[in-house]
Amino acid sequence: MQDFVITWLSSVPSLALPYALASVGLIVSERAGVLSLGAEGLMLVGALAGVGGYILSDGSDLAALSASMIAAGIVSLLFAALVVGLRVNQVIAGLAIVFFCQGLTNLIGTLTGWQNRAIAGMPDLPLGSLENLPIIGPVLFRHDLLVYLLVPVCWAVNRVLNSTNLGFRLRAVGENPAAADAAGISVPGTRILAIVAGAMLIGLAGGYLSVVSAKLWIAGMTSGRGWIAVALVIFARWKPMQALMGAFLFGGIEALIPQLNAAGVKLPQYYLVMTPYLATLAVMIWQALGSRPASEAPAALGQPYVREERP
Amino acid sequence: MSGVRKSFGAFRALDDASLNIGWGEVHAILGENGAGKSTLMNVAAGLYSADAGSLVIDGQPCAFSGPRDAIAHGVGMIHQHFKLVNRFNAVENVMLASPRGSYRQGLAEVSRDIKRHADAIGFSVDLQQPVGMLSIAEQQRVEILKALVAGARILILDEPTAVLADDEAAKLLQTVQGLSRSGVAAVLITHKLRDVQKFADRVTVMRAGRTIATLDARTAPSDELTMLAVGSKIVPPIRRAHSSGIERLIVRGLSYGPSERPRLRQVSFSVREGEIYGIAGVGGNGQTELTDILAGVRKPTAGTIELAQPLGGHFDLTSGGPGDRRDSGFATVPADRQGQAIASSISVAENYAIAHVHEGKFGPWYFVSRASMRETAVSAIREADVQGVRSVFQRAGLLSGGNAQKLVMEREFSREPSIIVVHSPSRGLDVRACAAIHRRLLAARDDGVAVVLISEDLDEVLGLSDRIGVMTAGRIVAEFDAPADRQAIGRAMVGHV
Amino acid sequence: MSDQTTGAVVPAPPSQPKVAAKRRRQLVLELRLDMPLWARGLISVSAALLGLIISAAILALAGVEPSSLLTEFASAVADPQSLRAILNQSAPLILVGIAASIAFRARFWNLGLEGQMIMGGIAATAVSLGGIGSDDARIFLMGLASALAGIAWVAIPLALKFFLKINEIIATLLLNYVAQYALYDLLFGAWKDPVDSFPHSASYSAAERLPVLAGWLQVGMIVAVLLVLLAFWALQISRAGFYLRFIHANAAMADRMGVKTGRIVAAVVVASGAIAGLAGFVIPSGMEGRLTQGFFEGYGFSGVLIAFLAQSNPLAAGVVAVLVATLFVVGQSLQIFYQIPFAMVQLIQAIIVMCVAGADFFVRHRIILQR
Repeated sequence: MQDFVITWLSSVPSLALPYALASVGLIVSERAGVLSLGAEGLMLVGALAGVGGYILSDGSDLAALSASMIAAGIVSLLFAALVVGLRVNQVIAGLAIVFFCQGLTNLIGTLTGWQNRAIAGMPDLPLGSLENLPIIGPVLFRHDLLVYLLVPVCWAVNRVLNSTNLGFRLRAVGENPAAADAAGISVPGTRILAIVAGAMLIGLAGGYLSVVSAKLWIAGMTSGRGWIAVALVIFARWKPMQALMGAFLFGGIEALIPQLNAAGVKLPQYYLVMTPYLATLAVMIWQALGSRPASEAPAALGQPYVREERP
Repeated sequence: MSGVRKSFGAFRALDDASLNIGWGEVHAILGENGAGKSTLMNVAAGLYSADAGSLVIDGQPCAFSGPRDAIAHGVGMIHQHFKLVNRFNAVENVMLASPRGSYRQGLAEVSRDIKRHADAIGFSVDLQQPVGMLSIAEQQRVEILKALVAGARILILDEPTAVLADDEAAKLLQTVQGLSRSGVAAVLITHKLRDVQKFADRVTVMRAGRTIATLDARTAPSDELTMLAVGSKIVPPIRRAHSSGIERLIVRGLSYGPSERPRLRQVSFSVREGEIYGIAGVGGNGQTELTDILAGVRKPTAGTIELAQPLGGHFDLTSGGPGDRRDSGFATVPADRQGQAIASSISVAENYAIAHVHEGKFGPWYFVSRASMRETAVSAIREADVQGVRSVFQRAGLLSGGNAQKLVMEREFSREPSIIVVHSPSRGLDVRACAAIHRRLLAARDDGVAVVLISEDLDEVLGLSDRIGVMTAGRIVAEFDAPADRQAIGRAMVGHV
Repeated sequence: MSDQTTGAVVPAPPSQPKVAAKRRRQLVLELRLDMPLWARGLISVSAALLGLIISAAILALAGVEPSSLLTEFASAVADPQSLRAILNQSAPLILVGIAASIAFRARFWNLGLEGQMIMGGIAATAVSLGGIGSDDARIFLMGLASALAGIAWVAIPLALKFFLKINEIIATLLLNYVAQYALYDLLFGAWKDPVDSFPHSASYSAAERLPVLAGWLQVGMIVAVLLVLLAFWALQISRAGFYLRFIHANAAMADRMGVKTGRIVAAVVVASGAIAGLAGFVIPSGMEGRLTQGFFEGYGFSGVLIAFLAQSNPLAAGVVAVLVATLFVVGQSLQIFYQIPFAMVQLIQAIIVMCVAGADFFVRHRIILQR
């Protein structure tokens, strides 16, 4: 039993990380008022770019993950152009981006031959003798670099949002763009910045999946994690640290599946795989039954802003 | 400002407008709704850029590239719809317009600056609460402080008293006068003659995008000002004495909202046939909720709405929906025209027809006839004198406020209702359209309809109502018979529960 | 900041209308007068063409020369066999297009089309495998079962939205994945073909396949056309459609006018689920002859795309669906002859949506150069 718990818990952070980074990235853009449904697509781009970057740079982890972030950032510029520049409905644009990315990554992955090519990926970085501590050793100290950085990164985003002028302006734009505009803040500029910054985090989440977790690229490998992240943001009431906790919850659920299999529990395989999606639905239902979720949203979420409309 | 022109598409909002304002003066801009007052000042505040014309401050020509630029030059504007972030508190909102180096430090600095200015002019504001929780008057004070802390020497106030009760308005305008004595140039955009005459030094009258004349505010006669603003004499409809019939609508103990902060508390009143019952009160005291409940769109948490039957007895309507209300003879005209009464992207004809479709007037369930809609709409538009309709199949969103309201009223009246509830019917309308609407309401009353008039415009309520109820904090705190004492009503409006 | 005046009272030069180039200061005004229909159509079509051109460029990068692309396209429409393929492919696409269109008209983002199709396919196959009903009646029962399954699957997010105000975008998408895995569970398990042990169901019997009339007209196509006409009647001509337009434009106002918004929206969404479920029956029964692993792939977004391009108009949706079917068929031959993965079709669709959605900006706004 103890072994089961230890193996399970030690696999959680790695599974939680993509959810955490993706939802924090979404929070950054949503707090600025932009509903970014394209997360699923951006994660795929990050995942493919990660593998591609790794292969092209002959095995550099840094290059791979940077490629993830940059590629997702570039694609998000397309989204930003549509949504901020051309005032396209954010839901339509988000969906289009997802399918664009799905098609594009599939195409590139096949044509370049990067599909299904196993890579060495990023190794675990056990922290010296700490990893030998009983119980908490393997759970906390035998992970890769990104997992160690996860909590500080989320905390840093939280801090920037709440305690800096940059975050202050971003929040103002998301709550009342007219007020921010009248105060002289550039609404389009802030939103574009938020979209790209958020996208880079989302891309990193995707890159982690391919470069660190699976150590290869398969078309569609994110399997809906982007959508779960969108739901997670609502569940976390747009707060980064709560998103982190939610991500651990989901990581925990996802980690349970292979553990149960290994433990010999005989459950229908595909129904087990369904659990993250059902869990997300359950969480959404539970939240809706409880308090007032929608009132926590940034007030101007999803609404495009134009200054010079006919009064 | 000189020779300013501005058009939105084909609509010319400003036509060669010019303005001359001195330091230390309170300068009013008087005009009807749609005259261009806000547009002109939005140009001054950097929110709009003019198509032509110039702006000169202290001899220096200025062309603002945006609101930040205007603020930097000392121009601050308090808009009719406050540009405040509800979730932030007062300090954060003020800091939006006056950014500081670091966030935390900035908050402390701004806090001090706010206190300094607030003490100087005698304001008191809660700095910690999210601004969305403050009263309208307090929110306005935050807006003013925001402009002052940002260094505004020219303060523009757009219809500041529209949302205030009489004595709050007086206090505000006195403060503005005080500010001007310290050197600030205050610009007061308003359509209220009384405010101009009591508080302004000079007044510029605008009409249809043009600046017509500039006069001394204290000495200019009311007639002349009205004539300049409206362009012709408008005779307001007169309410003739009229005997009303039996009680028709009885509202008892209506309550609504969560128990810690109810929006309506035990509201009770009754309206007779052939009577206009006016509900006066400053906006935000539960009027919208009451209208919605009467329309059947919201359900009260307690209380009843009853209709007296012609053959005796009462019919309890409380649990029905909007369809049931309409079937029982109710008609409602909500305040939010574009949001609740008109579907902007749908044609004028269909917007009118929807009131009758369900009774089969335009065809059976399997076929709705466009042709018959056109005929009906054309005659309705003629009846109600709705202007600006090139084709009844054009989008309803293209109608101006006044014409849209005329259409809505025609639609509601066409069903020959026995009870009409109107909420702020003349908000945003020019004097002519206003008079037309009022005429309509009085005619309905003379025909024996029970009319509930809910309005934040005290003049409107006083002019039309047979009986007046004053609504404060979700409760009817006092009732008066016409002719009513304005002072008494004003006192009741700000009385505490 | 550009200098505007040097003196005190000098009027600035008048504005230039409709210059599309953006300078440092640009003003965007809303085009308040309606653009005439023909102009709007022209802009949308040009945008779609732009999308196709961009896609052709990408294909060129992937090794397909534009000339061969054109010949592919030409042969697709000229060759009678591929025409039949287009026609066959159109039927399910029309169905999902209509399903998406009517749901969007009720402001319900039914992104669960694939899930509803899967459930429809499962239900129909269950009837087939269970041998329910006589040979003559079975195909009708399969169709009915698929529609009911589609209804059941859309009822979940509908109820969640109605009672708990849960956003249907995420709910419908998540249910897609759930349905997909349920399908895999069946196909890799209980329903695996005993004949060849592949993860697809046993073949349908002849009675369970949608017949082909006169050698070329698939019955599925007839069903699709009928539904197009039915949807057109419902949305444009019937009283409920009239109300629906108000619900779409301003639901609060429709409520106030006494329209039973809840019931109408529910009815429309349920119909949407039924039609999507039916699409899930038409593909196995009309095209593949059995329930396969990936029969639904690509239809979800295609449905949304069709509804978007057709602006949720049923007749236009029918036409657009045929065009998308052509795209599918061309995509398949690209896959066979040029090894371009079928995902290219998805990419092309996404590019077209982005171009058309972006072009809408020019319909709504006019750019005026301000100096």
